[in-house]
Amino acid sequence: MSDFARQQDDFQRCILTGDDSVLTEILDSPKEKRQVLLGVYKYAYGSRLVEAMRSDHKLLHGYLGDEMFDAMGKAYVAANPSQHPNLRWFSQHLPDFLKSSEPYSDHPVLSDLAALEKALNDAFDAEDASVLGVADLAGFAPEAWADLKFQAHPSAFRLDLSTNASAIWLALKSDETPPDAVALEQPCRLLIWRQDVTPMFRELATEEAMMWDEAASGIPFGVLCSMLATYDDPDGAAARGAGYLHSWVTAGLLAGVSAEN
Amino acid sequence: MADRQMDAGKPPFLGFGLGLRAQHYDEILRGNPPIDWFEVISENYMLPGGQPLRVLDRICERYPVVMHGVSLSIASTAPPNFEYLQGLRDLARRVEPKWISDHLCWTGVHGKNLHDLLPIPYTREALDHVVSRVQLVQEYLGRAIVLENVSTYVQFNNSEMTEWEFLTELSRRSGCWLLFDVNNVYVSAFNHGYDPNTFLEGIPVDRVVQFHMAGHSHMGTHIIDTHDHPVCDDVWDLYVAALKRFGRVSTMIERDDNIPPLDELMVEVNRTREIAAKVLPPLTGQAG
Repeated sequence: MSDFARQQDDFQRCILTGDDSVLTEILDSPKEKRQVLLGVYKYAYGSRLVEAMRSDHKLLHGYLGDEMFDAMGKAYVAANPSQHPNLRWFSQHLPDFLKSSEPYSDHPVLSDLAALEKALNDAFDAEDASVLGVADLAGFAPEAWADLKFQAHPSAFRLDLSTNASAIWLALKSDETPPDAVALEQPCRLLIWRQDVTPMFRELATEEAMMWDEAASGIPFGVLCSMLATYDDPDGAAARGAGYLHSWVTAGLLAGVSAEN
Repeated sequence: MADRQMDAGKPPFLGFGLGLRAQHYDEILRGNPPIDWFEVISENYMLPGGQPLRVLDRICERYPVVMHGVSLSIASTAPPNFEYLQGLRDLARRVEPKWISDHLCWTGVHGKNLHDLLPIPYTREALDHVVSRVQLVQEYLGRAIVLENVSTYVQFNNSEMTEWEFLTELSRRSGCWLLFDVNNVYVSAFNHGYDPNTFLEGIPVDRVVQFHMAGHSHMGTHIIDTHDHPVCDDVWDLYVAALKRFGRVSTMIERDDNIPPLDELMVEVNRTREIAAKVLPPLTGQAG
């Protein structure tokens, strides 16, 4: 290892672990001791990353308050040193961290809230794509519909929550007192996407969530309707499927359709 | 690799600009404020899609744009991050910037990124390393890059030359251009106890293509480059000295925190223009 590489190794270790051995290679300034000057970098590292987390997770920050959020942020920074040149992606592992690390894992609502904020952030700058319109579907003959396959917009993402985090999110977003966190008997099935430039989410019934998941994986409309028939009134399955499809198209959730067998 | 220069031609004079920040998107797009050009933080737009890139496209239709990165990590001893470079090149193809700049610094090794502009020792070993990295990046991007002097808080005891000697050699050997951050010169000079004019006079006139102007936080014994205050009087004075030495150089106001309304920053942009008009001779003479 070259002297230059070793020096960078020592400098980085100082910032990440507090090992100050690099101090022997640093000069005092005319007005300040080297420990204080090196401390500028050590302090900036943690504070910059926690600040980025505050920016990405404004509502989780509001829910926890400054002190608890920053303590959580420091724990996350220590467990997940940034490995990406873009600060935008630093908080990506926060939901997993909160789900698996005590004491946060004792409060599943925290992981759920972080996951919802992450999904909305991801929708905000997800890949662009043209949006399917009602007119695009009108051109298909009735006999072709059974074979239609749909392509989800790149911003669309399904998220299942085990708590009432979406209700808490809505209250926090409106500057209202959030409800107490509760575990749900059935998961809350959310669909998150970007409509024009605005990230959105809405809750899906079990049947619609199933149809979305299957449609997004390329199952054709005719099969989707057969699957819907197993959930509720079989005679109304096609109409329900068409209704869901219409709501997705008008919400900008679909990017394409094809009629391949 | 033999030292050689990229014959890319000197970037043009763009006038007096501002760093593009999301807080001002609507006002800029609605009002077309009289700003000569914008500098954008490259990483803020190295994204899959969405509103930031749409806004950037519209800004690029109306104003000259320069890309300014914070994660090139040109002085890192770790292998170059080619995924990052590919993202930078892709963004440059979209933006068609007047130039691409970053900092003379490193941001991490061993796969980590500390998201800071970290200092280097000014040694011959470091110089050879950075020259070769700049050449590689310039070949990858197909253009000469622009590198900025950073604010530093520590100096290494194994340095063999001054920062300005390092920058001069780096620019001459690699062919990169220099972004002279007036505030950073002031901050580093205070922190390390030298005269900022010595730094200024040590930089070759023909290599400087951009000035940065920014504010900082004075801690008494040292100054931190926070970009959260207006430009202070001492930095304005150093700007005058920089204009006298380097002449007509594209100048911009850089604010990254405590971001005020656009009008407030326009006052500073206009001040850069007014001072330059007083210090520099007019571009063309006019009879009568």
